[in-house]
This record gives sequence, structure tokens and C-alpha cells, in this order.
Amino acid sequence: MKIENQGECLSISDIQELTAQNSASFRDEVQAALGTSPGLIEINLSKTRFMDSSGLGALFALYRATAKRPGVILRLLNPVPEIQQLLELTQMQQLFEIVRR
Amino acid sequence: MKALLICPASRPAVPHLADSGPLATAPILGGCLAVHWIEHLAAMGAREITILAAGGCDRVLAAVGDGAQWGVRVSVIDSNFEPTREAAAERYRPHGEPGWLPAPYDIVPLSHLPGCPQMALFEGYANWFAALAAWMPMALTPARVRVKEVRPGVWIGSRARVSADAELIAPCWVGDQAVVGAGATVGAGAILEDRSVVGARATVTQSWVGPDTSVGPMTSVAHSLAWGSTLIDWRTDSMLRVPDPFLLCSLAKPRLAATTDRYGRSLGTLGTPEAQGTLIAALGASFDRTQNLKLSGLRPEKVL
Repeated sequence: MKIENQGECLSISDIQELTAQNSASFRDEVQAALGTSPGLIEINLSKTRFMDSSGLGALFALYRATAKRPGVILRLLNPVPEIQQLLELTQMQQLFEIVRR
Repeated sequence: MKALLICPASRPAVPHLADSGPLATAPILGGCLAVHWIEHLAAMGAREITILAAGGCDRVLAAVGDGAQWGVRVSVIDSNFEPTREAAAERYRPHGEPGWLPAPYDIVPLSHLPGCPQMALFEGYANWFAALAAWMPMALTPARVRVKEVRPGVWIGSRARVSADAELIAPCWVGDQAVVGAGATVGAGAILEDRSVVGARATVTQSWVGPDTSVGPMTSVAHSLAWGSTLIDWRTDSMLRVPDPFLLCSLAKPRLAATTDRYGRSLGTLGTPEAQGTLIAALGASFDRTQNLKLSGLRPEKVL
């Protein structure tokens, strides 16, 4: 996983999978990076091939953390179709701004 | 009168429909393709029906039995391959032998449902779903006494259990022994096969839920085919094996069978109370947002 702080934008990418094995570390690392107060958080899911409920839970924890900060935008970038299906199944696509580019 | 049914062999456009058996036995509105055709041909006067099955003869035979319940005699032949209609006619009805149903019902390739020749079933998941949705009004044949149309466009199995505050939006089909939980929304365009379960506050629209499949509480199945833990978006053909049984799973297998990922690795901590609690909180948040989007004003009803 790669976390890049580009001024106003916090970019998280190269996430191969988000499961019970790594969701806690994902959540902790991203929340630590939130200390820089970015205005935009982009989580690139284009390389994420597998996610389970723990991974979804980590995304939701991030959603809750950013919801407390007015003006912060949280985006999911380019989820593969399978991850998009999982987000739709759990109705979590309504919580996040999903962008394809 | 005689008739011949030709079972489809594999179809690359819909590979997952054959995961649990031959395509002719894939569940469709409380029966399977072969059964629906036998019913149809029996009603037309057929008394002797031969089924050509390219593999999976045992499964086909188990699905249709000996035909006694429809007053016909059914036999299944392993043909090893799927013959064309012409090749089957040449072999099994040479020289237009009399005593057969009139064409095209004498030899029927099982590529569509009775009465819907224009709706090919196996050319893609979208075609499959469209064919089933179109056939819903025709599925209630006189032989099927366990399903009733309780109001226009809403069919419910007599042993189904629908919560008093669930919402059924026409057209929809709730199969026999299916369960629809409290606050769930089924339809429009939803098909729940027999013994499926839709959890509390879940939503199923424009989708087909296979038999013995549990759709978890507060989930949303839209534009999809859900069967066991397999979820296929019929618009994109994208297929997902849902790793968490509390979201989507088969009720026909032990639940623990689904606790491995797609590489077969054990997900030891998957489904821990902590993970489930977090996700359920997420689902609850999503659900609260969707409440304002519900536009249907149909009254829920109780069917027991």
C-alpha cells in the first residue's frame, strides 16, 4: 500500500486486497496520515482484487473519521467491477463518492 | 403423442448457471427448464417425452423423474453431444414418423421457455434475466397449485412467509417456502426462487435470487443474479464470490464452507463479531440514507 500526501490531497493506492489480514493496519496508517488535515482523500481501488467485511469495515471507519471533519471529501477511485458489486451489495456506494478516470 | 427435448450443452455466455448442474436443470420460477417444457408438452397432448442430455443425465433424471406427475412417460438419453434439431429429427424421427406433436413442438431445443421463443435464455446473463422476467406471468400454469397471484403482478408461494411490514412491488415472484424479512423490499422485477431468504431491511430489485440462497439483512441486490455466494451483475457480467456468509450465502451447504477466499486460504478471523459489527453499522448508515429514497406507496401485506 502506498500513501502519498500531495498537499491538499491524500492519495492511497496499490492496495492489493483489503481483508481481515491487513484492514487494521490500513485503517491505522490512513488515520495517522489524516493528521495533516487534507481536504481530499482518494483511495485508489484499481488494483484491489479482493475485499471482505473487514476491508469494508476499514473503509467505513475512514468514512466516519472524515465525516467528523467538515469540508473533507473522501473518494474511491476506479474500483474493479467485483469491488463495485460488493459496495453495491452492502449499499456502501451511497456513502462514498466513487470516481472513474 | 411423442416429443423430444434437446438439452443445451455448455454455453460460454452463462458459465455460472451450470455450476450446480446441467443448464436444463437450472432453477426457473419454482421448476427447471426441462420441467416447464414437460408440463407444456403434456398439456399439448404429449404422452411420451424423450430428453437428450449431453452429460448430466442423472441430474436431469432426478429433476424430471419418470413424468408420472404430468401423466407422461419420460426417458433420458445420454447423447454425449448436443445435436441440432435437424440431426435429432433425422435420428429419432426418421421420415416424419407419425404420432408426434406437430412442429415445432415435436423436437424442441431447450433454448427458451415455453411460449417465449423470441427470448433466448443462454446468450448472456441479461438475456437469462429478461427471459425469466418476461415469463413470470406465464409461469403460473394450472399444474402449479402452490403459487398464487395475490394481487396483479405479485406471485407468492403458498408456504412462503412474508413479514407484515415487508414491501412487495409488482412484478415480483416469491417462491414456495421463501422467507421475506421485516422491512425488506422485494421488487420491482424481483424473482425469489424456492426456499430463498431475504433478510430484514434488505432490498432485491431487478434481480433473481436462486433457491436456498440467503440475502443478508440490510443488503441490496440490484440488477443481479444471486445464487449461493455467487453474485453476477447481469448488466456487466461481472461475477463476485461474496466472501462473507452474512451478506450472501447458500443455505444448502454448511456456512463454514464459505470462509475461504478465492485462493482457498482460510480466513480465520473473517466474520468475527468485531468485523460484523462494524459492517452492520455501515449497513445501517447506508440504510438510513436510503429511507428517503423509497417512493413506492404500496401497502405491505401479510401472507402466511
